[in-house]
Amino acid sequence: MRYKLSLRPITNKISYRELRSYEIRLFTHQAQKLAANVETFRLVQRLDLSGPSVRCLLTNSSGFILLQPDERGEPNRARPQTGPDGLLLRNWIRTRTRTRTRTRTRTRIKDLHPPRTLPGGNPHRTAAVGTLQREKAPRYAVPPLPPLLPPLPLVLRAPLTAPYHHHHHHHHHHHPQLQLPRPPPLSEQPSSPVLEPPQQQPQRQHRQHRQHWQQQRSSSASEGIGSSGTSSGGDPRGPSPPLDVISEDAMEMDLGVDQVIDPEVALKACQEVLLKVQLQNREVPEQQQLDNKQQQRQHYTDLTEGSGPQWHISPDTSSIKEEDEEEEEEGSSGKDGQKQSSVSQQDPRPSARQESSLLPLASSSSSSSSKQSWLLRLFESKLFDVSMAISYLYKSKEPGVQAYIGNRLFSFPDSDVDFYLPQLLQHVCAHGHRGGRRHQTVPGESSRHLDTWLLGAYSSDMHISTQRHSRGTKLRKLILSDDLKPSAPPSEAPRAASVSDSPVSSPLHRRCHRRHNSTNMEPTASPAPDNSVPGEVEVFVSPSRRTHQRSKSDATTTVSSGPGSGLRRTGSNPKVEAVHEEPERLRPQREFVKSLLAIGKRLATLPTKEQKTQRLISELSLLNHKLPARVWLPTAEHQHHVCRIPHTQAVVLNSKDKAPYIIYVEVLECVSFETSPVPVRIPETRIRSARSAENLDCGGVTAANANSGMTSEHRAGSFSTVPNYDNDDEAWATDDIGQLQVEAEAQTSSSDNISQFSVDSITSLESKEPVFIAAGDIRRRLSENLAHTPTSFRRDPEDPSAVALKEPWEEKVRRIREASPYGHLLNWKLLSVIVKCGDDLRQELLAYQVLRQLQSIWQQERVPLWIKPYKILVMSSDSGMIEPVLNAVSLHQVRKQSQLSLLDYFLQEHGSFTTEAFLTAQRNFVQSCAGYSLICYLLQVKDRHNGNILLDSEGHIIHIDFGFILSSSPRNLGFETSAFKLTSEFVDVMGGLDGDMFVYYKMLMLQGLIAARKHMEKVLQIVEIMQQGSHLPCFHGSSTIRGLKERFHMSLTEEQLQMLVEQLVDGSMRSITTKLYDSFQYVTNGIM
Amino acid sequence: MSQVEKKAGLLRRTSSSKKPLKEKVVLMYDEIFAKEDPAKNNPRFWDELFLMKVNLEYLESKLESVDGEEVQRIQDNINSLFHHCVQALGEEHQIKVVNALQTLCALFRGVHQKNKSASGFDIINMLMGFDKAEQRMKDLMERLDSLLCGDGSESLKSLCLKLLLCLVTVTDNISQNTILEYVMINSIFEAILQILSDVSSRGQHGYDAVVLLALLVNYRKYESVNPYIVKLSIVDDEPTLDVSMLSLTGMGMVVHQALTEYNRQYKDKEEENQGGFFSTLTSMVGNMFIADADEKLSVQTNEAILLALYEAVHLNRNFITVLAQSHPEIDIAATPITPTPTTPTTPLGTTPPSLDMMNNPELPLDPNLQTSNLLITFLKYSSIVMQDTKDEHRLNSARLCLIILTCIAEDQYADAFLHDDNMNFRVNLHRMPMRHRKKAVDKNIPSRPLVCAVLDLMVEFIVTHMMKDFPMDLYLRCVQIIHKLLCYQKKCRIRLHYTWRELWSALINLLKFLLSNETTLLAKHNIFHLALLVVNLFNMFITYGDTFLPTSNSYDELYYEIVRMHQVFDNLYCMVLRVSTNTGQWKEAASKVTHALVNVRAIINHFNPKIESYAAVNHISQLSEEQVLEVVRSNYDTLTLKLQDGLDQFERYSEQPKEAAFFKELVRERGQNIVRSISLNVRKNVSLNTLSQDVLLKEFSTIS
Repeated sequence: MRYKLSLRPITNKISYRELRSYEIRLFTHQAQKLAANVETFRLVQRLDLSGPSVRCLLTNSSGFILLQPDERGEPNRARPQTGPDGLLLRNWIRTRTRTRTRTRTRTRIKDLHPPRTLPGGNPHRTAAVGTLQREKAPRYAVPPLPPLLPPLPLVLRAPLTAPYHHHHHHHHHHHPQLQLPRPPPLSEQPSSPVLEPPQQQPQRQHRQHRQHWQQQRSSSASEGIGSSGTSSGGDPRGPSPPLDVISEDAMEMDLGVDQVIDPEVALKACQEVLLKVQLQNREVPEQQQLDNKQQQRQHYTDLTEGSGPQWHISPDTSSIKEEDEEEEEEGSSGKDGQKQSSVSQQDPRPSARQESSLLPLASSSSSSSSKQSWLLRLFESKLFDVSMAISYLYKSKEPGVQAYIGNRLFSFPDSDVDFYLPQLLQHVCAHGHRGGRRHQTVPGESSRHLDTWLLGAYSSDMHISTQRHSRGTKLRKLILSDDLKPSAPPSEAPRAASVSDSPVSSPLHRRCHRRHNSTNMEPTASPAPDNSVPGEVEVFVSPSRRTHQRSKSDATTTVSSGPGSGLRRTGSNPKVEAVHEEPERLRPQREFVKSLLAIGKRLATLPTKEQKTQRLISELSLLNHKLPARVWLPTAEHQHHVCRIPHTQAVVLNSKDKAPYIIYVEVLECVSFETSPVPVRIPETRIRSARSAENLDCGGVTAANANSGMTSEHRAGSFSTVPNYDNDDEAWATDDIGQLQVEAEAQTSSSDNISQFSVDSITSLESKEPVFIAAGDIRRRLSENLAHTPTSFRRDPEDPSAVALKEPWEEKVRRIREASPYGHLLNWKLLSVIVKCGDDLRQELLAYQVLRQLQSIWQQERVPLWIKPYKILVMSSDSGMIEPVLNAVSLHQVRKQSQLSLLDYFLQEHGSFTTEAFLTAQRNFVQSCAGYSLICYLLQVKDRHNGNILLDSEGHIIHIDFGFILSSSPRNLGFETSAFKLTSEFVDVMGGLDGDMFVYYKMLMLQGLIAARKHMEKVLQIVEIMQQGSHLPCFHGSSTIRGLKERFHMSLTEEQLQMLVEQLVDGSMRSITTKLYDSFQYVTNGIM
Repeated sequence: MSQVEKKAGLLRRTSSSKKPLKEKVVLMYDEIFAKEDPAKNNPRFWDELFLMKVNLEYLESKLESVDGEEVQRIQDNINSLFHHCVQALGEEHQIKVVNALQTLCALFRGVHQKNKSASGFDIINMLMGFDKAEQRMKDLMERLDSLLCGDGSESLKSLCLKLLLCLVTVTDNISQNTILEYVMINSIFEAILQILSDVSSRGQHGYDAVVLLALLVNYRKYESVNPYIVKLSIVDDEPTLDVSMLSLTGMGMVVHQALTEYNRQYKDKEEENQGGFFSTLTSMVGNMFIADADEKLSVQTNEAILLALYEAVHLNRNFITVLAQSHPEIDIAATPITPTPTTPTTPLGTTPPSLDMMNNPELPLDPNLQTSNLLITFLKYSSIVMQDTKDEHRLNSARLCLIILTCIAEDQYADAFLHDDNMNFRVNLHRMPMRHRKKAVDKNIPSRPLVCAVLDLMVEFIVTHMMKDFPMDLYLRCVQIIHKLLCYQKKCRIRLHYTWRELWSALINLLKFLLSNETTLLAKHNIFHLALLVVNLFNMFITYGDTFLPTSNSYDELYYEIVRMHQVFDNLYCMVLRVSTNTGQWKEAASKVTHALVNVRAIINHFNPKIESYAAVNHISQLSEEQVLEVVRSNYDTLTLKLQDGLDQFERYSEQPKEAAFFKELVRERGQNIVRSISLNVRKNVSLNTLSQDVLLKEFSTIS
């Protein structure tokens, strides 16, 4: 199979539709470099046809190169052995300037960019470094130039190949830092070994001995080039250094499934290319000619080339090359001593200034080389964090940058990246063509399927643009169908998600495989399917076979065309199964969540809370029958299986017309919810044994008959199914209640003499010694017992949740654990979750992110503000799950139940003014109050009635329900004009207007504001990205972001800020509208 | 000849052809009852016989008319008939199967009718012959089993169940039905379970299946090991996704529906009675036709269901979970194909749970409809049944209800959900209309844990049954149930927010009643035992009140109540003291009560003077409750109580030997009733069977 490369403007021949119909995948970064050298092509995509044929698409702003199988390429079949690079390029590329530059170009290309895909045959391995690398590359251009120098007039032919080696080299030192722990040996062998038999060994050694790497590398490279040049003309067999680079970087650019290149952009880009070509290339006429011939060429296979190059790349990029070289020098300076990187590290922060200045320039690569290098350095510096990455991702229009960042994301801790998942998804949905990287990122990073739900929500939001919508749904489908496949190493399992459609496996996926394989010291050649030479096959097959193939090639690094081909078992075999299993994997979970949501929807139809709760309980009891199952609560931190829902504990929350409810869920923690065995069901009545025992023992008098045998058999059977059953008649005698009693004794400490007595008295019936007790004692004990139980709320049919929420969490856990048949298990845990239907939680999610961000900012800046972001899980545009705030009841419930002022309630709960407990609670209150005041101000959180403010058992207040933030407010009644809610009750708790704590409160706010201001970008970016294409009410109007920005008051001095805080506090306190709103809520909704 | 017959068979649908055909069948029957082997002349005799529509009446009367000697003579033929019936059950032709089933039914009944006094062995011999009996019955049970479990027509299954019911109830005393021994050996338990676990079949045959199961479980319950008991007790019904495991739940559903239906009927009737003049008139007119028997019958049949419920609760601890399950959607699975017109009318003469209710895929989201569960329904049912215990049947029903409640109260898991603070329900108990109280307005019943409803029911019973014909054992059970619940609360420290005062005053009133009717009651009952239990309930409150009373005030109220009613306790003490000092039958029982009264008397003796002096000091003639409470509160410390033994101990329920007689009697009675009604109904259902035959015919003709 041969490939030809055709370069032509996007608009030309291939329709968009056609493009879309392919699975576009990210191609290699070699190809990208190739493109880089040709100047314009930054992005390489591969169109994957269903068959073994491969199409690659190199795109950039100016057009694309289509690499496609050449049907007429049969004659070249014999060549593969000659060298991967040569083969690759020869087969794939067909330049425009075929006449003149053929040879040179070819050489250059092959040296520079041995398309990794070819060797590996597994496009997923290909790591695209993106623009940055491309730009960097030329700088390395020093090393010995192989014999086949591009004779082109273009300046840099000769040096070019070499630079790459250096480049790779450089990367060797460089990139590992970026990587997450990954076994080096395997990671370096992205390219399928098949293609470079001679190099194999050196390479492997290199993997272990970096020091030698360079020398061997270069020598082998030159060797390869030489040989290729001589032997097959167009097929240099360079060791394909880029491959190594790539692999090391583990940067894969996966352009995702359904990306579409914007036609306009493409067209424009195309024109640009032409323009550039005209300017830079002195052979203008020829160029034109080429253009004209393009189409022709596309189908044209240069059979005559034979050993000659089959590809022709326009020699238009000389000047760029030079630039690149410069860049490369800069970049390479760091290669040895890591000077460079250390420099960039020292540079405290590449700073927003730099960023911003760089960003716009990034796209115009030709003019901003130096800056770009800065950008690169920034990207590679240690300070480059997820937040920055995300913001670049968002701002940069440069595919390369995006690609780079997309890959770079994989080097960050998963948890960090997970945080930005909504942003990433939003981005994917909003910008499909750019989102490709993320597409890959998403499944990779999000170990759970929660992104699926999220995506569902977001894509449903995109209804306006069907294109986007389909993109979202498609991605979702992908994730659903293929995500979360079990991978061989159990520990990695949850992470081993990949997108099936893209031949490029997600790095994580790969990573895990590598890790696994690294234990098998010697990776071996993947057995070539079919009868062709391994290397070749590897090259071509991969696109059509997905994960299976992929993992296979992962497992195999270098080609030892020799034996040991069986080693890939780890990678491939499990996969094969997985492919079939996958749709099943998530089903239980999806069903589980679906039924929870369905319950919520049904509940909404019932009129009273009481009925809702009853219905809820009975529904859950049914659900319980299906547990334990391989389901989990996505909001939880630890891996677990849900084993039971103590249905009677579930309760409906206060809501006017919806029916959100809270459920408690018993889970058993496990290593991995994917692979750990699902716990065995234990019947509710585990303590109970079959009563038949009793019956049979007395009834079976005539047990001598034939039935007795059966009987005992059955009994045995039944008992074995009942755990904890003591098959002893003695045990039967001690009945349940007796056991209970003992348990109860154990719990209630010695204070309970009476019970002790009773136990004694039972045993000592003979001794007629009368025991006397004082009635006063009984009475006292009663009142003491009652007093000691923590203040609980009265049961109120209109507010069933008050009691449930008021019960201390530990108490609840203990109680439920006792009642649970699973309670005795060590890994038993109780979780809770609020299921909400009928509300769009995406805004909540946004608020959660902002809160989290602010929380970490304040932590970082050591401002003791206290806030409690609660996790949100968006299921769809109108449903989701919320992590409940434990031990907290709403102010409304406090007031209604206790009939006390807030301060009195504090006194009641925590003790008098001077007690430690009260002071602690008061401090907690102030710190949380300050935190939430700021948040309410910054986010313009509205609808702050007392039902939406919780008070926890430690005195913190917690705001919930961020349904009205930023630009939206409830019904726009004009209430709540104040910056935040600060009632006189609050102030009373803080000790009054003159109290120290109130001063402390204001001080905290000031500090918090200053800290937040310092990191404003981080906050803004979250909101900003979510805004694009969003129809959330909080983005209503155009000035949302601007308004938000303004509230940070960047321009004010600290003194002014202090003034501002004073003003805000003052204004809020005096605000009539707050009071009005409260009374409005009282009147309309009965919220006190 | 056979050709002609076949033709005739096919033409049979025209009514005109009916008569000659009938005769044909009768002819063939006659042949059987002749000496000769009917197949001798006509090798296809049996084939043809089962193509004929069965004439049950003729066959049965024929069997009955055969006398001793003849029996010997025709035994071979009857054996052969039985054998061929069993064979025919395996036929593809459903008509044959139907006819065989009906013939078997007639055989069983006829033979028993004839040989009421005969030993079971004779009957077996006559039907099957001793030597072959085992094999025949094995075949029969296997065939029935496969018919019941197969995909065959629903009416066939229904017939199978009817045959089984017929077989089970053919004797007055189920335990004397020797043929059932074979049913024990060849268990059809699994088939019954399967019917119960499948939604559609449960809807159509659930009632029969449950009744059948209850009866089978009661076969020689105390004499031998009954495999049905064993199997029922070990069904682990953790309703997994596996459908076959849903049988317990299914059983619960059937019982639930039956009880619900009864409750609904009762309520309708009640409302009717309360309605205006017109409705009274109509009901009068209606009653003229329906007659009172209807109501009684329904109670009886529900006894069978109640028996099933008891067996399930008693035998299978897993069933307790079913009690608390409210199944709004358990029947979501495919609604059965529209119930064929063959749907048998009620097998037992009363309306079985209506089909649409059984198959209702979803609990209607009717806001007025409370979420319910089996336990609630059962409580409501009990409240109805307990209203009137004069009737023997109703008395038995009430007793059974209380026994079931006893089992429930003893069960820890059941207690757990009874007391679950989060499971609140409104339970509308039916209260007997009484002169001195208004009927409680349903709407005002608060939503509370279920145990409150149980306690209410007990209180209600205590208050309403103090009559001459004193149902002593019911009272005992009632008080024991309360005691068991209190023990659970004490042990688990559950502070139930219940108005204990109602209970206290009810108990005190009960003591009062016992005292005032001492002489009449003592003639029949050991009232001291009941008094002891009641006093011990008070002792529970007095000594362990700190562990389960909801408020400290409630403890004061207890004392207040005792002091207020001190006269009752004083009188009781006098009475028991008197009895215990005399020598007599009740000496020991009475002396126990005297001991038990120690604390109550101590309280009375301690507080009465205090209260009097308080009144004297403050010159108040009539102390208010608050004032008394105040006195009580301030004088605790000088009161010393004696700790009594074993207050929180109770005797666990055990069917043997105490209740054995009751259940034997119950089953016997049940058997009789069912026999009566079944024979009645089968006869009634002859026409129905014809109908089903027609349907089957249709099915058959389309298949072939």
